[in-house]
Amino acid sequence: MSLSLFLVQLVNGVEYGLLLFLVASGLTLVFGVLGVLNFAHGSFYMLGAYLAWWVSARSGSLLLAIAVGVPAMVLIGLLVERLAIARLYSRDHLSQVLLTYGLVLLFNELQSVLFGNDVHGVNTPEALSFTVRLGEQTWPAWRAFTSLACICIAVTMRQIVLGTRFGMRVRAGASNPEMVEALGIDVRRLFATLFSAGTALAGLAGMLAAPLTTVYPGMGESVLILSFVVVVIGGIGSIKGAFFGALLVGLADTFGKVLLPGFASAMVYAVMAAVLLWRPRGLLGAAAEGR
Amino acid sequence: MGEALIETHGLTRRFGALAAVNGVSLAFETGRVHAVIGPNGAGKSTFLNLLSGELRATSGRVLLRGEDVTRAPPDRLSRLGVGRAYQTANLFPELSSGDCVWLAAQSRLPSSMLFFRPAERYPQVGVRAARALEACGLSQRRSAIAGQLSYGEQRQLEIAMVLATEPSLLLLDEPLAGLGHDEALRIVALLREVAKGRTVILVEHDMDAVFSISDTVTVLVDGRVLVTGAPDEIRNSAAVREAYLGGEVA
Amino acid sequence: MRRQALLLAAAAALAAVAFSGDRFWLQFLGKAMIGCILAIGLDLLVGFTGMVSLAHSAFFGLAAYALALLTNRLGLVNPLVTLPACIAFAAAAALVIGWLSLRATGVYFIMVTLAFTQMLYYLFNDSPALGGSDGLYVQARPVDSRVAAYVVIWLALIAVYLVLSRVLRAPYGRVLEGIRGNEQRMRSLGYPTRRYKLVAFVIAGATAGVAGYLDATLYGFVNPAQLGWRQSGLILVTVLLGGKGTLYGPAFGALLLAFIEHYGEKVTEHWNALIAALVIAVVLFLPRGLAGLLQGRPRG
Repeated sequence: MSLSLFLVQLVNGVEYGLLLFLVASGLTLVFGVLGVLNFAHGSFYMLGAYLAWWVSARSGSLLLAIAVGVPAMVLIGLLVERLAIARLYSRDHLSQVLLTYGLVLLFNELQSVLFGNDVHGVNTPEALSFTVRLGEQTWPAWRAFTSLACICIAVTMRQIVLGTRFGMRVRAGASNPEMVEALGIDVRRLFATLFSAGTALAGLAGMLAAPLTTVYPGMGESVLILSFVVVVIGGIGSIKGAFFGALLVGLADTFGKVLLPGFASAMVYAVMAAVLLWRPRGLLGAAAEGR
Repeated sequence: MGEALIETHGLTRRFGALAAVNGVSLAFETGRVHAVIGPNGAGKSTFLNLLSGELRATSGRVLLRGEDVTRAPPDRLSRLGVGRAYQTANLFPELSSGDCVWLAAQSRLPSSMLFFRPAERYPQVGVRAARALEACGLSQRRSAIAGQLSYGEQRQLEIAMVLATEPSLLLLDEPLAGLGHDEALRIVALLREVAKGRTVILVEHDMDAVFSISDTVTVLVDGRVLVTGAPDEIRNSAAVREAYLGGEVA
Repeated sequence: MRRQALLLAAAAALAAVAFSGDRFWLQFLGKAMIGCILAIGLDLLVGFTGMVSLAHSAFFGLAAYALALLTNRLGLVNPLVTLPACIAFAAAAALVIGWLSLRATGVYFIMVTLAFTQMLYYLFNDSPALGGSDGLYVQARPVDSRVAAYVVIWLALIAVYLVLSRVLRAPYGRVLEGIRGNEQRMRSLGYPTRRYKLVAFVIAGATAGVAGYLDATLYGFVNPAQLGWRQSGLILVTVLLGGKGTLYGPAFGALLLAFIEHYGEKVTEHWNALIAALVIAVVLFLPRGLAGLLQGRPRG
């Protein structure tokens, strides 16, 4: 593999990883703090992408679509949390898996009814439609913008989690949900906020990815599974783990596609298996107390 | 001085910067009841968890009959004869008392990878289970669902389950916690019976009980051993009184 | 007693269909009974041991593909050879995947089984040598006649149910119950629980393998869609719908779902939403499933 090809794949892998991070961070927080396994998370990614297409196709501006879409996703998240997720807080894993699985089926039907089953392209904003030249390779500016946005969000998240009172409650909730409640913190509000934030992040990832992957039915599924892999690798409840896990998965997937075209998808799961053999709770997951 | 069934050497367990158990070296004589007492936060439960394999030691060693079992998992320790009874109800809430004790008794079969004969056709298990229930006065409550037993009965079931595993070493974690006076007396009588022919390590706050059934008492403070001695010595020790800050020492 | 009567009646009714020779019903109920076998096997894991696995369809698919490959590439058709071979293959896969997955606990375990299922899906979907997304035709089926296939499936269903019932009454079954109730306590009582869970995983994988083999025999066709997590999800739905932890309940759940899927398709093109509504309703309002209705008073 030539150096320039290697660098291109490296950049691609990191880009993909950063997008995955947006999706996975919401998933790991909902998991870690709310204790809910949410299979419908990929559907939010898909909904975001469809919203981006629908609004940008009518308004001509992807940026407007994002500006409108993110608050819309927050509202959707709040609705789903109140109506469905809140009923899962004390339920067993089977119930959580099945209820959110039902939501996936529902969202898929909704997407089919509202938006149809065609594949749609989304245009990047004119201002960002140029390409950057790196040696022999060209790099679309939108991808750079996307990656930059992801990094900014990651940094902001870190600031919020480490530097604000809200972030402190989140961290407390991730390590000890019962205690948070016992301390009188309004758990309902905390959960609702976290869930809708996670939903919005997944939706935003979908909006940013829309021009790159096109918008098609079932696009949330592969992202969902990979996000689960990221969470397993990085450890439940750990945003830092989600970040490094996402980069690892993004790189594994990208290089896998280039090095082993027939087994590209398997590469990611091989990495996951390897991580689990070494660290059964993920790289940065809550260390098992003693055992 | 009898020989030690189980001993610890410099046993330490840290949680971050806090050493909950700090360099504890103790020997527990075979056939004796050895109580471990101390003020709250002294590290007694952590110590028991280290002995039963549920917590891994940060440093130090645990020797069972001379064999190093520091890293042994709970199931291995149980098969080596270490039986642990818990402070908070740790039963099978949806099973009947009889079934709870059955599972405990069944664990003594060389292996439960038995797929064809119904469980009832292993009479040796049933006998062991019935004996344990009988010893703890629960024979009449065999079909009652464990989760619905009274608090006192759950404590009895807890002990019955441990007995059914025929342990040579019993680790009892506050067996009298939350019991009313009469119930506590019943359990103390039970413990006295149960202690015959076995080695017992008893963590308890109820000082009357501790002094009435123990042969030796160790006082833990802040994760370290303050003193070990006969019950009377401990009862009259000024240092111990001070450690409790005028607390429960009679 | 009510339960015994119900089971006997259902078994007899299903057997009677074999005599009708009706092509549609043989195919439809044959498929439905395969769903019953899948549900029963999964109930062992989910209902009796408390392990939520999304890998069940993977073992189903692996056995189906194994049959296709044995007949197409090696010319082996004889059921006395191919059936044990395919079951052994599914069981071996369950051993490996189970061992790896059980390194994780709780939700991690669920997600790991999901990931392995998807890995296998992509393996079959992306490999032209294995038929790709189109799948493979089974060139020669071990059982050719439609009626004979139906009878074999019926026998397999009865056999799987009886064997698993037996296993669950044995000491091993008690251990599984204990693990479901309080795994930590089981360990402190001396049971190396991971080993028992792995065995349960393998047994479930083997039963899924039986179902996969029969499915390939019935349809003469295997494809990757049978392997994905969506399929596993549907099997889980049947377990919950029928009543987990009862063994017979999930079988009825599978029958019910088969009917709903079939007639739902005729009623509306959005029958997926119908299934979704059913799933959500069962989770929220009928968590003990149909069997729960039959049992009346709550257990314990």
